[in-house]
Amino acid sequence: MTAPNAEGSAIVLERVVHRYGATVALRDLTLAVEHGEVFSLLGHNGAGKTTTVRIINGLLAPASGSVRVFGLSPLGDGARVRRRTAVLTESPTLDDRLTARETLRAFAEMYDVPAAEIRGRTESLLSEFGIADRANERVGGFSRGMKQRLALARALVHDPDLLFLDEPTAGLDPVATHQLHSTVREMSRSRGRTVVLCTHNLVEAQALSDRVAVLGEGQLLALGTPAELARRIAPRLEVSLEVEPAQTDAAVRVIGSDNGLTAVADRGGVVRVSGIVRDAVPSLASRLVGAGIALYRLEPHEPSLTDAYFALQHRQPAVRDTDGDEL
Amino acid sequence: MNTRIIRAIVRKDLRVVRRSRALMTPLIVLPVLLMIVFPTVVTFLPRLMGGAREAFAEMFRNLPDPVRAQFGGFTEATWIRVVHTQMLAPLMLLVPFMVANVIAADGFAGERERKTLEPLLYTPATDAELFVAKLLAAWLPAIMIAFGGAAVYAVIVNVMAWPVMQRVFFPDLTWIVMVLWMAPAFAALGLAGMLLVSLRVRGMQEATQLGGLFVLPVIALVVGEVRGAVLLGPSMAIVIGLLVWVIAGAMLLFGVKRFKRTSLVGKL
Repeated sequence: MTAPNAEGSAIVLERVVHRYGATVALRDLTLAVEHGEVFSLLGHNGAGKTTTVRIINGLLAPASGSVRVFGLSPLGDGARVRRRTAVLTESPTLDDRLTARETLRAFAEMYDVPAAEIRGRTESLLSEFGIADRANERVGGFSRGMKQRLALARALVHDPDLLFLDEPTAGLDPVATHQLHSTVREMSRSRGRTVVLCTHNLVEAQALSDRVAVLGEGQLLALGTPAELARRIAPRLEVSLEVEPAQTDAAVRVIGSDNGLTAVADRGGVVRVSGIVRDAVPSLASRLVGAGIALYRLEPHEPSLTDAYFALQHRQPAVRDTDGDEL
Repeated sequence: MNTRIIRAIVRKDLRVVRRSRALMTPLIVLPVLLMIVFPTVVTFLPRLMGGAREAFAEMFRNLPDPVRAQFGGFTEATWIRVVHTQMLAPLMLLVPFMVANVIAADGFAGERERKTLEPLLYTPATDAELFVAKLLAAWLPAIMIAFGGAAVYAVIVNVMAWPVMQRVFFPDLTWIVMVLWMAPAFAALGLAGMLLVSLRVRGMQEATQLGGLFVLPVIALVVGEVRGAVLLGPSMAIVIGLLVWVIAGAMLLFGVKRFKRTSLVGKL
């Protein structure tokens, strides 16, 4: 596996290995996260996502390999690294005995936010996340969703350059989920912050991420944009064809069942073709037209990140790009 | 060291302790019992219980000669002086010990149990800053309660014993040394013991059970005083205090080497 280009990267991991006793949690993990991108770490439980986040923040020491965050070592310069990072853990991990306002102020002080700015930032976040009305109530009485919103506000209180979100929408209602997605996009697109998303929610990862890394048993299984991964790992598409209704059966016969294709007449004039590779779509269209079928519409359905993810989990060998490098 | 970060953690920890009924109950009840109720009752026992007077006189006669020589014959005034300057004196050491022990249990094991330790580990606080903050959060309230309780104790004892003593007789030099020198040392012992235990266990309950074992030296001192085996004078108080400081210091040194993010996160 080649080392990623470290220039300008927010995070660079090179051949990182971590063990919990005899269990290998990360095996030669190599990846780079660029400034300002939304990067997702995907994988089953135990794939190594949380371990990776902890290593990047200096909470765990890798057994071997190199880790740089903004050019700094998380172990040697941990305080400087953590001053620029924030982690939203999977469960909100808030102290139930503090109020929302006290929580934000306490963490603002711990992150060494200038005293003159603490009040303004705290009030602004309380308001932005819809907690202002209950700012003086103890967190113990909050719903799961409110706690998650407060935990996110806490993560943002020092305006981090690099934000880690571990299952950020778990337990959130649709409105709160939408708000969180907006926050992530705003952090990345408007403010140039880097966001690392650890999630099982593949739809969320596809919608938010510039790039994703799929981990499996501590190994990098694939890395790329969601669309790239989907195309490379799950290359077969489903295509919807709209033909003259009277020619539906004829269209199915023309398509046939060679090369793993399946054609099904869906409803009047619509034929669904599955298992077709992208490159075969033009020839399919020309075959139909050549056979005298009136083809009104051809709509390919791109494979999703979810398709790619499940394909990967059943295919352990690492994926290589066109240059032969492992993805 | 960034003192601002340390102060923020200390303030947060103390606020969390203040809001916990389960923690505040022993933190209030124990000092009130040991430093107000118990001394008050014991001061007046010979007067309140006619039959007890002879029993206490017998107890006094059984004290070692040096103690009896120090106080003279058995009178009510003697009883009051013996009780407060000798017998009950070491009991007040339980207060800083227990306060530090309970708060440290909440700050180390409790925080881990509530899963609120992880966000702290993600802050820029260094391991040393976290360690110092956690120690101060337990030690400062312990000595403040010890000093405050001692002041209240002195006032109450002098006021209540006034009809008998007719003068301000308390505190004596031994007691002052005990409060200013031994109490902080026992507070340090209480939190050092809890620190070591908390680094090994996961839960608060387990920590308090094991950490409480470090109270045994205090109990031994109390029993020794009551039985006359230990005669606590200013010199002895300084020596015992020094010994406790050394033990607590060694335990803290041992603990600080193990108080690492990379170790703590393994127990989350």
